[in-house]
Amino acid sequence: MSGLLYKNFRINRSSFIFSLCTAILCCIVTILFAVFIGGADSIKDDNAATSIGMVNALLYYLAFLLPSLTTSMLFEADENKTCCAFAMSLPQGGKGHVESKYYYLLILNITVLFIAFTSDMISFAIYGGKVSATMALMLIFCWRLLVSAIEVPFVIRFGSQHGVEIKGVVIFFIFMLIMIYFFFGDISWLMSVEDPVEAFVNWLNSGDTIFWISLFPFISVAAYYLSCRISVKLFRKGAENYEQ
Amino acid sequence: MSNDKKLTIKRLLIFLVISFLPFIVIVPIMWAYYGEPIFVSEKDNVMAATSVLGVFGMMIPSCANLITRLVTREGFGRSYLGLNCKGKMGYFIASVLVPLAYSAVTMLVLCAVQFGGIQESLASPSLQNTGLFLLNLAFSIVIFFPAFGEEWGWRGYMMPKLMELMPKPAAVAAGGVIWGLWHAPLTAAGHNFGVDYPGYPWLGILFMCVDCVCMNAFLTLITEKTRSVYPAAFAHALNNNLSATILLSIFGTQAAAEQLTDIEPMSFFMVYLAVLALVGIVSMILLLKGGKKGSAALDNAA
Repeated sequence: MSGLLYKNFRINRSSFIFSLCTAILCCIVTILFAVFIGGADSIKDDNAATSIGMVNALLYYLAFLLPSLTTSMLFEADENKTCCAFAMSLPQGGKGHVESKYYYLLILNITVLFIAFTSDMISFAIYGGKVSATMALMLIFCWRLLVSAIEVPFVIRFGSQHGVEIKGVVIFFIFMLIMIYFFFGDISWLMSVEDPVEAFVNWLNSGDTIFWISLFPFISVAAYYLSCRISVKLFRKGAENYEQ
Repeated sequence: MSNDKKLTIKRLLIFLVISFLPFIVIVPIMWAYYGEPIFVSEKDNVMAATSVLGVFGMMIPSCANLITRLVTREGFGRSYLGLNCKGKMGYFIASVLVPLAYSAVTMLVLCAVQFGGIQESLASPSLQNTGLFLLNLAFSIVIFFPAFGEEWGWRGYMMPKLMELMPKPAAVAAGGVIWGLWHAPLTAAGHNFGVDYPGYPWLGILFMCVDCVCMNAFLTLITEKTRSVYPAAFAHALNNNLSATILLSIFGTQAAAEQLTDIEPMSFFMVYLAVLALVGIVSMILLLKGGKKGSAALDNAA
């Protein structure tokens, strides 16, 4: 497995380094933002802390975005019949080949998570312990796992081009669902108050919302594992469709 | 003494010096700068500084491991960085369940001692609280980094070296004491026990050493059996993130939580230590039971 993993890192070295550089850049922006707005002095109340926390979470999301955009590149390099036949002839077989891709994505995301976590701890100190986006970081990481879990089986079965299109459709579908909720759903929790940030925090703390959110990390980890199993099964069928 | 042993001792000493030095230097400086024991301060900026010190401080043993390997040209053989979960899944599951189990037992014993029994009125089980617990559990993904920072140093470097030099029980005891002493500057600054207890700070340091010996037995067991440092890192993260007090603040009523905050940290720690000692003893037995069976194969995997 370590050999296959090494191969993935070797082939995707430039995109890996580029992803990390982007993540580091986003984290530097987070720290500079904390320094320039005045650190702990800028936090006058809880709402200010929540708003800054959300800005930080957005920057961390951007840090995770580039690794997710390079997912299809990871598969493009091996997307021909010769490579797949070679992968299947290895002792680890197609299973090892596919699993190594999942390990690669996991390592990439964990590395970005580590960079973002380090940056969040530094901003936490600058804000005097009043702002932390660590929980958001964990949720963003799990979201990335979930998106990869959906995307990769399609990429393996239909090729990277179609896989990216299908991912786009899935994200568009989720976006549409959110839009429908905002247009036709019960958003009295948001409309009845002046401050949407406060309303959002209240909504999170109301009733059993937190319970359903807490299931999300476990669902995404399970989905990632399940996705790997499915991809292993789909690999041979997908390889038949690749060009020579 | 053979040359191999001398080299092992040399490497171990370099590792320990690099691990111990930062806290010995930084904690007194911070104490002098803020003008009070930093871990008992109630000022926001001091509490933030201690959190950051805690998180980055936990990564020091890993840095020491890395530096020692590079300086002494040891290389990265037996680095314990492989996953090795094939056929060892039980230890991975134990690394999650055992810390949760001893935290839950500590919480129940604390309730029994403090309230004269486990009363239903003190608990507030709800979907919201279960959600909070699950979020805390998932949060271990992030807490994993500092925990890995300690584990890769202590279990991934120090313990194999100690086990080369002495029998397993002695190595576990010595490793635990070293690990406990590493916490000494923090304990003196009020970490875990505060500063208002009889015998401060020596009793706190002693308790920390005993705690570390017990924890070391369990963490060494799962590291040696899997030849991987990740289960120990998970167990460490859960131990820090879902302690008995946190469990009680999640599942207990407001009144129960308030009453428990009145307990002296030392009394709380003694209950925790009694439960942890059982885990340590069982782990030690299991560690000795394995002997050298399959050691060579596992060494290759590491």
